[in-house]
Amino acid sequence: MKVISMNLKIALLLVFGFLSNFLNAQTCCSGGIPLSSSIGLPNLEKGTIQIGIAYDYNKLNTLNNGTKKLDDNSRLRITHSTLINASYAITDRFSVEGLFTWVNQRRKISQFGNENLDQTSGIGDGLILLKYNFLNAIGKNTDLNLGIGSKMPFGSSVEKNNQGITLNADLQPGSNAWDMIYWSSISKSFDFRPSLNISLRNIYRSTGTNNSYFGDSTYKFGNEFQVLLGFSDQFLLFKTTTSPSISLKYRNATQDKIGGFDLENTGGNWVSIISNFSINIKPNVVFSAKAELPVYSNVDGTQLTPTYRLTTGILFTFAPKKEFLNLN
Amino acid sequence: MKKKIFYVCILIVLIACGGSTDDSFIPVNPTDNSSNDNNDDGASSNNNTQDWLIPISEVKDGGPGKDGIPSIDSPKFIDANDPRTDFLNDADLVIGIVKGGIVRAYPHSILDWHEIVNDKLNEDFITVNYCPLTGTAFGWRSAANGEKSTFGVSGLLYNTNLILYDRNTDSYWSQLELKCVNGDLIGDEPLLESVIETNWGTWKALYPNTKVLSLETGFSRNYGNYPYGGYKTNQDFFIFSASPSNDALPNKERVYAIIGDDVSKVYQFQKFTNGKVIKDLFKGKEILVIGNENLIYSFELNESQSDLVFEYDFNNSETFFKDNEGNKWSVFGKAIEGPRTGEQLKANKSVVSYWFAIAAFYPNPEIYTE
Repeated sequence: MKVISMNLKIALLLVFGFLSNFLNAQTCCSGGIPLSSSIGLPNLEKGTIQIGIAYDYNKLNTLNNGTKKLDDNSRLRITHSTLINASYAITDRFSVEGLFTWVNQRRKISQFGNENLDQTSGIGDGLILLKYNFLNAIGKNTDLNLGIGSKMPFGSSVEKNNQGITLNADLQPGSNAWDMIYWSSISKSFDFRPSLNISLRNIYRSTGTNNSYFGDSTYKFGNEFQVLLGFSDQFLLFKTTTSPSISLKYRNATQDKIGGFDLENTGGNWVSIISNFSINIKPNVVFSAKAELPVYSNVDGTQLTPTYRLTTGILFTFAPKKEFLNLN
Repeated sequence: MKKKIFYVCILIVLIACGGSTDDSFIPVNPTDNSSNDNNDDGASSNNNTQDWLIPISEVKDGGPGKDGIPSIDSPKFIDANDPRTDFLNDADLVIGIVKGGIVRAYPHSILDWHEIVNDKLNEDFITVNYCPLTGTAFGWRSAANGEKSTFGVSGLLYNTNLILYDRNTDSYWSQLELKCVNGDLIGDEPLLESVIETNWGTWKALYPNTKVLSLETGFSRNYGNYPYGGYKTNQDFFIFSASPSNDALPNKERVYAIIGDDVSKVYQFQKFTNGKVIKDLFKGKEILVIGNENLIYSFELNESQSDLVFEYDFNNSETFFKDNEGNKWSVFGKAIEGPRTGEQLKANKSVVSYWFAIAAFYPNPEIYTE
């Protein structure tokens, strides 16, 4: 018990060590904070707390016109995100989950032998989600979870470069808009292999409007719909439980609106494949690494489209202490 | 074993989050314009001067970033009758220039994606620049601080209008202000070259020997796709705001504007349908405004020219107007036939623009009425 406690302290020390490194260095960056795709921690028994910390690297260096890839890699958008998830099971069925972010947005243009970098860093928007679990509600070994939540505009949307010029919406850590999140998840396991799991996850984000964009205009990011079809299983590796999974993700985003009008070269449809590997490094600690690669992009007009995304993270689960009846 | 896996995983997260990335090598050298790092630490900037001649609060980041809209620095041209000009319809707008016997056209459909062409006509270096959001085009000498320089798209906008930067000094130039507004050359003005905006059909009729900018720009773009959606025709659609506004005309009506210092006089194309010549006054000087529904241009008249009676005379050739002395004049105001052959009328500083832009840069412009 003492050993476990010591290991936990070391882990927390390392995690906070990593955090302070991130805050001081500010060298990370990215293009597109994975808010809605980072929610949906598993539903566990009443009183369980889950805390996850993840780092996400999203690189956009592919210029598309519709489905056609253009021969131009001069533009690079990178978003580095640190994501902290926290979930608390209020009952065995009902839980609340929060997501908090720190982001570094970078835009680099390499053209004519020059490189021009613009970047912002800071607290990004957050998200809160209320979830309810309907166990076996639609069949044996079938889990249905429904959730509703909101994206909260914690992040700044008025960051400037060092000349005092406000950067555009795409480069801001925050959006200055409240979004509604609708989340659902269905998963099914099988008697012949209980560890095999098929899941279908849907997320719809109805975006709000920043009513003070550049002081006198409005900006609304496009509504977003995501569906993920995933297959996962569990295996023992070096006497440790590991969970590889693979998912197919479809994402649709409508055009952004500026001043109430559709903004060209925003929105589109994307299909990507996500491979994930999780390992239970301790009974209550799961490490995961994930790579997302696009397989189909059909963007509106001409725009940068994701090249790849990498995510690593650790999830800690703190189960409630068991209360035993004292007969003395 | 589990303990080892645990520490390896922690290490992976640390490396992933705290390590350097492919773009963190960018040098930060305030004196080196080859890398401009607009980060929060203030270590470097696009240039090192904080003084602006325009309100910095009205300078906006357009989104693509500096050089994110790439200028065309090695333009290629093709003949007007080359089959590869089939991307152009007669109604498509072009910017035309004639200099030293060279005639060239720069289609809007290409300029929408590049905004700047750094060109060379004989020994003259000319920068043709066009802002799709204000619909304004100028030609000016490719020079900064007295030396040859190309210009690039800064990625910034003032009153939703293009801000260029010169690659000699990294100074910023407001297109419609016609002035350097930030940087070492603050206050300098570009040396203008006469350019005309009209449609491809009219330009070809004026100059059948014209060359036209080729789609072989060196960049991969879909030039058949206008990148701003309904912007040109929707009077209320603005991507960035411009002020002051003026509702005397529809915001996106294309007008011909004579500009000078802070004043402007505006002529509407519909007033020139089927050709028209107007003698008018601008800033106390007599001017000649001549055009049709597709093209307007104007000149300042000197004493020897003010008594001439001009007449519109465009019949699908280089002659655009004539006078009572028997002279025939090109659209650029050069006498090409008659006793004054070779004489050049002095072109006014002018531009074709969306109405809202002229009203924002030159508040309360006078609108010509008959």
